[in-house]
Amino acid sequence: MSTQRPRRAAITGIGVIAPNGLRADAYWKSVKEGLGVLDRITREGCDHLPLRVAGEVRAFDAADLIEERFLVQTDRFSHFAMAATVLALDDAGLGSGDPAEPYDIGVVTAAGSGGGEFGQRELQKLWGQGSRFVGPYQSIAWFYAASTGQISIRGGFKGPCGVVASDEAGGLDAIAHAARGVRRGTGALLVGAAEAPLAPYSMVCQLGYPELSTVEEPDRAYRPFTAGACGFVPAEGGAMLVVEDENRARDRGAAVRAMVAGHSATFTGASRWERSREGLAHAIRGALDEAGCAPEEIDVVFADALGVPEADRAEALAIADALGAHGTRVPVTAPKTGMGRAYCGAPVLDTAAAVLAMEHGQVPPTPNVFDICHDLDLVMSRARPAELHTALVLSRGLMGSNAALVVRRGGDSAR
Amino acid sequence: MIIEVTVDELAKLMKKAAGVSVDPTDLAHSSDSPFGTLGLDSLGLLGIVGELENRYSKPLPPDAERCKTPREFLDLVNTTLKAGA
Repeated sequence: MSTQRPRRAAITGIGVIAPNGLRADAYWKSVKEGLGVLDRITREGCDHLPLRVAGEVRAFDAADLIEERFLVQTDRFSHFAMAATVLALDDAGLGSGDPAEPYDIGVVTAAGSGGGEFGQRELQKLWGQGSRFVGPYQSIAWFYAASTGQISIRGGFKGPCGVVASDEAGGLDAIAHAARGVRRGTGALLVGAAEAPLAPYSMVCQLGYPELSTVEEPDRAYRPFTAGACGFVPAEGGAMLVVEDENRARDRGAAVRAMVAGHSATFTGASRWERSREGLAHAIRGALDEAGCAPEEIDVVFADALGVPEADRAEALAIADALGAHGTRVPVTAPKTGMGRAYCGAPVLDTAAAVLAMEHGQVPPTPNVFDICHDLDLVMSRARPAELHTALVLSRGLMGSNAALVVRRGGDSAR
Repeated sequence: MIIEVTVDELAKLMKKAAGVSVDPTDLAHSSDSPFGTLGLDSLGLLGIVGELENRYSKPLPPDAERCKTPREFLDLVNTTLKAGA
């Protein structure tokens, strides 16, 4: 065992299943071009509900990547997570699983709700036909921890496994948890989140959120930081990353895409958006501190961008509070306005976009947002070329969690 | 009426209840192999037990879901179904 080389957490693989692209390269192309894919919800049984617009993952066939038994036994949210894992492993050059040292690879996911569609189907059998008609896989498929378990079983990953249930910001908390796992001795972790909130029961659960946008025009439904901000639009999908010990990655000749440099999380209470200013600023300072990063070193901010005026104001002020004068000069972006917020999956998709933005030297734009009413340099309309070394990713949850993550460019890849 | 669950039906049930595709001929040849090696876990077998109980409106003994191999399972199921026919 090496005592000379400190263990640092590198991102070596990215797998994306998003409304605007399946695979990291397709996702990045859409993000860079500011493609808006918000659209009318077409999923079965949803057309009578007052939530009309969302980011749907279309043209996705899980069977292309995952064996049928894993599909029959799991919900759509796990299908996304397992498929994103296959793509992340491939991207990292780690093959399809069954590693030579199974205890060296772990799995961490974050989840906002679990398998609502699967759960609804089985509960309908319970009340429609009786308890004897409920399938046994109900016991695991709708559980929010299902994706971690199935990814671990399918890939033979027997290292530390866990699930972070800390609201949408849990997507960033999971990445931080994986980075700590690497520092504590695990070789690599599959980490991320994917959600499937577009099914009748799941949608009804969301209708009570005052922050939800029910605007019916896709290009007007989610416009954070503008005077027309009217809430957020939900999305399905997410991303999985390979977070790996930097030395392990270099020893096997893998490209170090980025480093997980710092993270911090705070809690300020459900729907208390004004107070999220203080919480988010505190999280940013904590993440910078852990990364040993000065505010001026932040080259781009991926904003939470909730789309609720009070929350947008709090976020703009938090960025200024934590970054000082640099906060009004640093490019800020929110690619999620083009595809919606995939709950815990959203900040992981943003982290993937941050890594890709650093690699390509482009700050992607914020789709559908043209005229902002806050003191931010929000990148709009088209991508802005920039030398990017360090990115800050922000996330807040509807239940009051705030988190900030600092990622630094890996320096290996000339993509 | 003589009720008998065949290897063919078991293959169909494995597909329906657990998404496990297995060729009936192969299943007949490996009827002494543990379910685990055929890709069927304990929840999958439990689902098959429930499906058969619903289909024949008859409870199967608790040992049914603990059977280790297709032969053991089919023997138990068919003995139980015949006993009550």
